[in-house]
Amino acid sequence: MTDRRAQGEVTATEDGRLAIPAMLNGRQTTLVARPWHTLLETLRDQEGLYGVREGCGVGMCGACTVMLDGEPVSSCLVLAPQVAGREIRTVEGLAAPDGTLSDLQQAFIDHTAFQCSYCTSGFLITAERLAEEHPDASREEIRHYLAGNLCRCGSYVKILDAVADLLERRRAGRTAD
Amino acid sequence: MPEPLRLFQPTSIEEAVAVLAELGDDAKVVAGATALTLLYRQRLIAPGALVSIGRIPGLKTIEVVDGELRLGALVSHREVELSPVVRGSIPVVADAFGKVANVRVRNAATVGGVMAESDYASDPPAVFVALDAVVDVQGSNGKRSIPASEFFVAFYETALEHDEIVIGVRVPVPPAGTGAVYHKFVTRSSEDRPCVGVAGVVRLHADGTVADLRVAVGAAAETPQRFRDTEALAIGKPLDADLIAQVADAYADQVDTLDDMRGSAWYRTEMVRVWVRRAIESAAAAPAR
Repeated sequence: MTDRRAQGEVTATEDGRLAIPAMLNGRQTTLVARPWHTLLETLRDQEGLYGVREGCGVGMCGACTVMLDGEPVSSCLVLAPQVAGREIRTVEGLAAPDGTLSDLQQAFIDHTAFQCSYCTSGFLITAERLAEEHPDASREEIRHYLAGNLCRCGSYVKILDAVADLLERRRAGRTAD
Repeated sequence: MPEPLRLFQPTSIEEAVAVLAELGDDAKVVAGATALTLLYRQRLIAPGALVSIGRIPGLKTIEVVDGELRLGALVSHREVELSPVVRGSIPVVADAFGKVANVRVRNAATVGGVMAESDYASDPPAVFVALDAVVDVQGSNGKRSIPASEFFVAFYETALEHDEIVIGVRVPVPPAGTGAVYHKFVTRSSEDRPCVGVAGVVRLHADGTVADLRVAVGAAAETPQRFRDTEALAIGKPLDADLIAQVADAYADQVDTLDDMRGSAWYRTEMVRVWVRRAIESAAAAPAR
């Protein structure tokens, strides 16, 4: 059993659920779910990670965005067993262990890039990957990359400002190094 | 949710096929799960078992061999979109996969999945049909290859037998000088599925007459629509506005358009006329590879 888990295999629990080994925000954990549970449900209901939010439930809005092996995905469209042996990062994993917010999170605050904030955690995860993948993205490229994250309050301009500013801050940081 | 739902995680194609052969239609293959999760959670399907093929090795290759671009079934949309191999051989394939939904869906959804789902409003099928791609599948009786134009049979229905899975797609690299485009026309939000999607492939002789013209229309009917008789009419003729209009009108006449929330049948017919014309114009003007 231990060996199979170490290899990232799904095993059955005594009550017939699935034990799904995965890395969650930097720590090895075992998610417990039924085969039909989504990653979204499992992260919220089993792990208490309420930063992962359900919006549309059909992969359109981006509120439930998490990183799976470093790439943003809609956790409402991932079945829990699919994450076996893989690495998940949620908004809860962005800040430092002592609670210091990441530079991206700080940029959102500095620009007040939210109103109700329901969409914010999804935007943060997508923007984090955008910043890694396209450190020199133009405003237009940021707009394209974030097009699949919806904000019903309409904070898009502020969100674009925050992400553009973050990229600039990181570029300045790189130059200073 | 129906219970029990059994989960299989085969590590070889043969093992996956054996499960499908045993369980028949009660089992559903799942890879990226973006489509299956939707269908399942909305109770449009109720399988008794899921066969998760994500761990089968050897299905994630992207390569050009013998003049064909070969995409493994487990290659994600995002990988196709960003692949230098795809961009360097048949850029329109990367372009079409890059227009699907949003970056999250493209990270999860696979090449095999978009084929096997046969959703009428997916973007890649029309491009594969226009480019004469071939779908490689494997089942209890071994492997076989199905032309993309015959693979999509009807609404969410393919030529796959219940014990067969898609293992890859092969796309012949068009001759130098061929222009190929995919136009995705959306009527709602930018990341929505298309109202009409048109793939156009054009190669002209030096004198401006048509050497090759292929057009496939997606999202307008149950399956991608291609009319070879219409295409053949253009061969050898000068590609002028009249000829393009003839082809566009013929497509508008022949596509049996459907109604949905992205457009009425009448509207789709008119959009087929417009976008077939634009696809041919822009394919003819596309920089030669």
